[in-house]
Amino acid sequence: MSVKFEKIKRQEMIKLPYMLDFYPLQDEKFTRISKFFQNLKEGKLTTTKCKSCGKLFWPPRIVCPECFFENLEWIDLGVEGELYAFTEMRLGAPLGFVEDAPFCIGLVKIDGLLISSRIDDARYEDLKIGDKVRLKIVELEDGRVFYRFFKTRE
Amino acid sequence: MRKVAIVGGGATQCGKRDAGWRDLVQEAGKAIFESVDNLSPKDVDSLIVGAGQPERFIFQGHVAPMVAEYLGITTRKVLARTELMCASGQAAIRYAWACVTTGMADVAVAFGVEKMYMPDMAEAQTNMTCVLDREWDGVNGLSAPPFFAMTAQRHMLEFGTTKEQMALVSVKNHHYSTMNPVAHFQKEVTVDAVFKSPMVAPPLNLFDCSSMTDGAAGLILIPAEDAKKYTDTPMYIIGTGQASVGNVINNLASLTEWVPLKMAVQETLRTANIKRDEIDIAELHDCFTISEIMEYEAFGWCEKGKGGKFIEDGRPYIGGKIAVNPRGGLLGCGHPLGATAILQALDIFQQFRGEVPKGRYVKDAEIAIAHNLSGAANVHSIIAYSRSLK
Repeated sequence: MSVKFEKIKRQEMIKLPYMLDFYPLQDEKFTRISKFFQNLKEGKLTTTKCKSCGKLFWPPRIVCPECFFENLEWIDLGVEGELYAFTEMRLGAPLGFVEDAPFCIGLVKIDGLLISSRIDDARYEDLKIGDKVRLKIVELEDGRVFYRFFKTRE
Repeated sequence: MRKVAIVGGGATQCGKRDAGWRDLVQEAGKAIFESVDNLSPKDVDSLIVGAGQPERFIFQGHVAPMVAEYLGITTRKVLARTELMCASGQAAIRYAWACVTTGMADVAVAFGVEKMYMPDMAEAQTNMTCVLDREWDGVNGLSAPPFFAMTAQRHMLEFGTTKEQMALVSVKNHHYSTMNPVAHFQKEVTVDAVFKSPMVAPPLNLFDCSSMTDGAAGLILIPAEDAKKYTDTPMYIIGTGQASVGNVINNLASLTEWVPLKMAVQETLRTANIKRDEIDIAELHDCFTISEIMEYEAFGWCEKGKGGKFIEDGRPYIGGKIAVNPRGGLLGCGHPLGATAILQALDIFQQFRGEVPKGRYVKDAEIAIAHNLSGAANVHSIIAYSRSLK
């Protein structure tokens, strides 16, 4: 008896599922900090502060872990920060970022917080610790947004 | 609380293996049970499996019963998987120890496994970006190498640590791994070779970084009072410590001072009732060269900021102040996340029994510690082992 062979298809191209891309789900159906992303769309980098104990958080929260107070206020962090540390991704970029490499990543000091971010418009050699960097907003085709910083030239 | 002994263990060859996750499990299982004559899988009542992210690397969850099945174990007391990313294996040993010491288990296997080579390595790199908080840090392309690159940059700035000093850690650990048959890397490297290896994320070159590695390993834990039924030369777990501070980079205690490691060291010395200078072997988590330098400092073998000088002076070599990573470290042996801590413990076990090659044998060693960090170095876990019970 001969054995039957049949070629079957493996779907080679699929729409990138949300849990395999890096950017967070942002609308109110998926997160209770959708305000953070709405603020970003208006050009403002914000985070939450506890109205009870005054603690400033990064990332933004919905509950203060110090006093379990839920009444948090949104604070505008401004648009300028200072480079605390940086490097450049040259080898081993993840899927979705492979074509961006090499790209710089830094820790930006802003309002006493240390926020990690892509640092655009610069190569590693152009940067030094203490450099002033400015906020920029990147917009994804699907409407989501995220923040980056870039080195100011002045 | 019962005292706990390790009476046997085994490992696969580590490296870029032409083998699947299930193959690695079976190879390690065979090695584990061949290490003890009169103990079989049927005697094991509990199994803890350390696995970093099988959901991503092999698209498989619920892996603890899968390991039990492949090892021929029917668990009657405890079965679970531990995930603490780079310290997943150490979490497995800690919980297996906790189960045996409390009487929740009588014969437990602490197992660790990771299959990290994938057809498309960018997919593997993607997996590694969920080690940090993916929505706030990973989203920026931050995986371990850029994070530790920035740690190194700050350490160099604040303490004058040099790239040469960092490279010397790689030279030492690759030297020892040439004498470890299960190690991923079997060749010596020089400072020059580290400098000429491709730049991953400055200031870290490729040989400053531990590698993606396939491997599996396991240990058998039983109450110390029963140990001599199985071997004349068991190893004992005498203490353990673990601490964490924060998770997102903003909430770390410090980039250049690993506060949770100092906390874990104190807790380990306290629970083991030992002094730091009694430690003969230290298996430290050298995921990057800068890590080992900062660990010399946090353990207190040198002053804060002098870790670079410590390696430059040859102090962490066998015969120096403290033998650090005579196994070959993660830099030389590779870093199969879930298996790493098990491999460290197994090598200490073989050190105590005099089963390692002469060139990396620490003579008359009585007490050893094994350390793993995980995430953004915000978690540090340590176990203290001894050759005899005081």
